[in-house]
Amino acid sequence: MVDIPVFFLHGLAYSGLLFLVSAGLTLVFGMMNVLNFAHAAMYMLGAYFSYSLLQATGQFWLSLMVCPTLLFAVGALIERFLLRRVHLFGHLHELLLTFGLAYIITEVVKWIWGNFPLAVNIGGLLGDTVEIIGITYPVYRIFIFVCAGFVGATMAFILYKTRLGIILRAAVNDSEMVNALGFNVPLVFMGVFAFGAALSGFAGVIAGPLLTTYPGMAHDILIDAFVVIVIGGFGSLGGAVVASLLIGELQAFGVLLFPKLSVALVYLLMAAVLIIKPSGLFGEES
Amino acid sequence: MMTHKNNPYLLMAALFAAGAAMPLVLKPYHLNMLTEIILFALYAVSYNLLLGYAGLLSFGHAMFFGMGAFTVAVSLIHIPGLSIWSAIGLAVTMTTAVGFVAGGLLLRHKGSYFALLTLAFNSLFYAVATKWHTITGGDDGLSLTRPNLALGFTSVNLAGIESFYYFTLVIVGAAIVFCWYFTQTAMGQTVLMMRENEERMKFLGYNTNISRLILFTFTGAVAGLAGAFYTLHFQFCSQSAISVDMTTTVLLMTFVGGTGTFWGPMLGALVYIVLQNYLSDITDRWPLFMGLIFVFMVLFIPGGLSQIIQSVRGLFAGKRGTGKPLAAKEASS
Repeated sequence: MVDIPVFFLHGLAYSGLLFLVSAGLTLVFGMMNVLNFAHAAMYMLGAYFSYSLLQATGQFWLSLMVCPTLLFAVGALIERFLLRRVHLFGHLHELLLTFGLAYIITEVVKWIWGNFPLAVNIGGLLGDTVEIIGITYPVYRIFIFVCAGFVGATMAFILYKTRLGIILRAAVNDSEMVNALGFNVPLVFMGVFAFGAALSGFAGVIAGPLLTTYPGMAHDILIDAFVVIVIGGFGSLGGAVVASLLIGELQAFGVLLFPKLSVALVYLLMAAVLIIKPSGLFGEES
Repeated sequence: MMTHKNNPYLLMAALFAAGAAMPLVLKPYHLNMLTEIILFALYAVSYNLLLGYAGLLSFGHAMFFGMGAFTVAVSLIHIPGLSIWSAIGLAVTMTTAVGFVAGGLLLRHKGSYFALLTLAFNSLFYAVATKWHTITGGDDGLSLTRPNLALGFTSVNLAGIESFYYFTLVIVGAAIVFCWYFTQTAMGQTVLMMRENEERMKFLGYNTNISRLILFTFTGAVAGLAGAFYTLHFQFCSQSAISVDMTTTVLLMTFVGGTGTFWGPMLGALVYIVLQNYLSDITDRWPLFMGLIFVFMVLFIPGGLSQIIQSVRGLFAGKRGTGKPLAAKEASS
């Protein structure tokens, strides 16, 4: 059972990635009440942008900055010209729209980059391995976890410690009042959606070297991210942290302990949470 | 107003008659396509009972469709001499049970939460179907041959395209009519009113949770029946029948056809299958076109094709007193 620390670290790495994806999803959901089905598709777009940029330049750090910026723009455009248009029709239409966009983005990606996996190799320090608690471990997986921690801390700081965070939280509670106080609420919502998109792009860049870029990557991560949101509680950042860790470790050790059952374990956990506490571990009772 | 009430029966009779005449007109290739359209029409109608009538956006309808498909395949392969009726009956029973249990869990939430949870449930079923190789055949799927149709005194060979088409037309057609009848019952009307104002329905003493569970179970059973015919039609069943893509398909059919009317989704199924068959010859990118049509509809024509047809019909019929029934309706409410 020497493997246990290794599997634990694997779990942490996947938790990190899962958190990066679900943080954006839960942010947009918590702030705008839009369940963004296109979130994972934008994550995939980020991963493929990053793949092309790496092919062209070989600079991982560059793509870690450029791709989220591109996705920020994509997100802002989607919110401004599509989502805002159907906002008045209600949540059902917003959901259908993001779903349709996800479908289109996936098809376009298949069209441009082909319907097969593309391996992403990064050299340098990140591609190396390191000696940690007596085992040799890839630096990259540790890097993912550090990134997730950094992003989570930044988001919490902005939301709870800055003036911008106060405006954001107030806009959720009473957008008309905040609007009347002189803040541009539509712009705030556009910013939130674009930031969520940027976050998904960031996660996509991170995911490339870990999981390779492939056409089904959006669907695979979307389900896991949804399960994280259900377990953690809708719209709760703290819940997303805990649930990501839970799911990441469960998947890692599930493969080790119950190889046949591993795929179902995550859903069983979700069903258990639903039965015991339908609003999720950290969700508010509706 | 009387003509309005009689219309559906006339329309149904006309459709059945037209359907019965089709094998005389169509080539086998097109007859095959029509069989597929009919079974997908039932699937779309069942989905629209959730989406259009109850306002529940489910991303897990394929779990019923796939469950029905797999039940028929597995039971026909593993139980020798099983009649086609028993296999179909088994499929409907299974999906009713699954619908009841899953509905109990899923319907605690509404709106976005419900959509998300149904997607997760569908993924669970898909994962199980992929991994449980001994029963479901995993990636390889299951092949079978259609058994003969026992009718008590005689037995009909269903191996041919034509005989199976008639079987589908009668059974699936009857199921569609039953769905329409369901919307006309007190139960169906309750669901419709719950969508409009649930608070008021509760206040009037209706148990809305039970009504919703019954509807969910019913649509599940109907989708299971459609799935059963899917397996019988292709004489093959793979995990794609239970995948999220199968839910996507029905969502596209239903929405493009129009959620506002009962017959809209059937039109959607027709358009989808025809487009699929012809566009896929021209371009591999036909799902992209479907996606673009879908987003265009969401943005500009939320009522789908049936909205277009109704407004065109309204243009022509507009002068012949649509005003009067409307005024009468307003006065009575």
